[in-house]
Amino acid sequence: MQIASRRPWWLLFAGPYGLYLVILLVIPIAQIAAFSVLTYSPTRIVARELTAGNYTRLLDPYFVQLFLRTMRLALITTVICAVLGYPVAYVLARARPSVMAVGLFLLVVPLMVSTVIRTFGWTVILGRNGLVNQTLLLLGLDPIRIMYTETAVIIGLVNVFIPFMVLPLMAAIERIPPSLEEAATNLGASWVQMFARVILPMSYPGLVSGALLVYTVSLSAFVTPVLMGGARVRVVGSQIFDEVLVSFNWPGASSLALVVIAVTLILVFLALRLTRNVARGEKPS
Amino acid sequence: MPGVELAVTGLVKRYSSHVSVGPISFEVMEGEFFSLLGPSGCGKTTTLRCIAGFEATSEGAITLNGKRLDHMPPNRRDVGLVFQNYALFPHLTVFDNVSFGLRLRRLAKREIEERVARILEVVGLPHLASRYPTQLSGGQQQRVAIARSVVLEPRLLLFDEPLSNLDFKLRLQMRSELRELQRRLGKTSIYVTHDQTEALALSDRIAVLSQGRIEQIGRPVDIYEAPETAFVADFIGNSNMMEVSVEAKTRSGTVMRAKSGLQLTGPVISEGVGSSLRVLVRPEHIRLRATREDDTPNCMTAEIVDFTYLGEDVHLRVAIAGGGELLVALKSGRATRNLECGRSIELAIDPSDVHVLRK
Repeated sequence: MQIASRRPWWLLFAGPYGLYLVILLVIPIAQIAAFSVLTYSPTRIVARELTAGNYTRLLDPYFVQLFLRTMRLALITTVICAVLGYPVAYVLARARPSVMAVGLFLLVVPLMVSTVIRTFGWTVILGRNGLVNQTLLLLGLDPIRIMYTETAVIIGLVNVFIPFMVLPLMAAIERIPPSLEEAATNLGASWVQMFARVILPMSYPGLVSGALLVYTVSLSAFVTPVLMGGARVRVVGSQIFDEVLVSFNWPGASSLALVVIAVTLILVFLALRLTRNVARGEKPS
Repeated sequence: MPGVELAVTGLVKRYSSHVSVGPISFEVMEGEFFSLLGPSGCGKTTTLRCIAGFEATSEGAITLNGKRLDHMPPNRRDVGLVFQNYALFPHLTVFDNVSFGLRLRRLAKREIEERVARILEVVGLPHLASRYPTQLSGGQQQRVAIARSVVLEPRLLLFDEPLSNLDFKLRLQMRSELRELQRRLGKTSIYVTHDQTEALALSDRIAVLSQGRIEQIGRPVDIYEAPETAFVADFIGNSNMMEVSVEAKTRSGTVMRAKSGLQLTGPVISEGVGSSLRVLVRPEHIRLRATREDDTPNCMTAEIVDFTYLGEDVHLRVAIAGGGELLVALKSGRATRNLECGRSIELAIDPSDVHVLRK
């Protein structure tokens, strides 16, 4: 009681959002957890019979393939975002404030556009008679199939999620004093050596949080894979969608969702461990 | 006779439309400790950054040991820079910070360890090799920064206000350590500072800069006691500066009168009667006399207007009987013990302490 009474009273203002989280996040997840161990019934959706079947079926080659594909797509997306995002983050972090503002706006514009419109834009570019293929034809080359392939999904995911990589990286790079770059240069480092030995290790926490964000949102992505990958590139997200709204297999969808949540939590935990070790190196213990 | 190590010739650095710095020319001798002294914005840091290669020069040439430096990339210049904020790598230990440049040069592990150990010994930090910079005090960080540059044995060492982030006592201590270290290593050094006492205490020679130009280059004693320009006289130390006109010329000196009415006898000069000059009298060159001595030149009776007791020194502002005010700095002692505002005192200035400025 004594400790509680010492807390400032205005902490109560955190209450409404806490309540919001409990009602709209904790309770639904608890319900999903409960559904995932109950039996699917074609007539009543969920039957009150405990089962492990929703999980054991995930060992089917179909589901193993599904998870491997989803994780592969998420991983490739993350790597591409990191490779493309690092230079952008560096340029923006070292740019004049006015340039930085414009750059940041351009960076987050894809997030502001509705997924459907953005994907339609990609269809115009990547489709069978799209910009890319027309250019190839003009050059006398054979058209290629991009739309409804994994490549299309990756292109789409990178496009939407790259801000999640650039923003934390930028924040991390901004905190590195430019004098450290000059010090490295003065000690004989070329630009590449300076980047590898100063910028990269010092912005590492930003890279970890950016990678974590991109990986987890890519892992649970649904609209982009469906619209750009079509029926050929099924991912966990589209499987969950179908099981919830098409086949009404809520227990099955719940087990899939819980596995995704579990993978995400494990990754968050690992990322925190990784960055904490870095932080420990920097500061006196 | 040591030769010229660094030569800066007609250096100009233009920012956008207006000329910001230059033209600046100076030479630094081998093993010399050379300071660039001036207020902020005078171009001293720009000059230093041009030598280090972080700024491109617009005009002029920089040569180190006879070789052109200004077209070389900054990582190839063989010039060590000690930064104002130390710029130590926070993610690396002291050892890794100091060995940073050695590793880039791909030296053998054994040699790296030996050289780092030796230099840490020199700066007095051999026991802190495995610490991180944030675990060190300001003075220790400073020493690591110096070690990191010195371990590469560059031809030239540059210091960018390295002591300005330290508190007063530590600054004095690091100042003498730095001087001692530089003497021991015999490294040609350029030291940028806005702190005149630092420049006077450390330097073999000083270049005083103002508004992108060099005002005067000279030994500390020249700069302080024989400033050539009003700016140098005013920037270095306290000063009594006066516009005077020459009234008479005698065999022993020149009689001058200031606009305030104050009459001074100065050294023999070439300017004729009637010409106007600017003269400087350092406050500490004005002496307190027990009684009036009319036979010596520059004796005056004055009233104390302002009195500041500083322990070692006593600073006075006095109104001279014939007109005009002077700043006087006295060593505190028996003679100054009874001074107070409003008291009348006798002062004298040796004619050789009346210094005529060139402009």
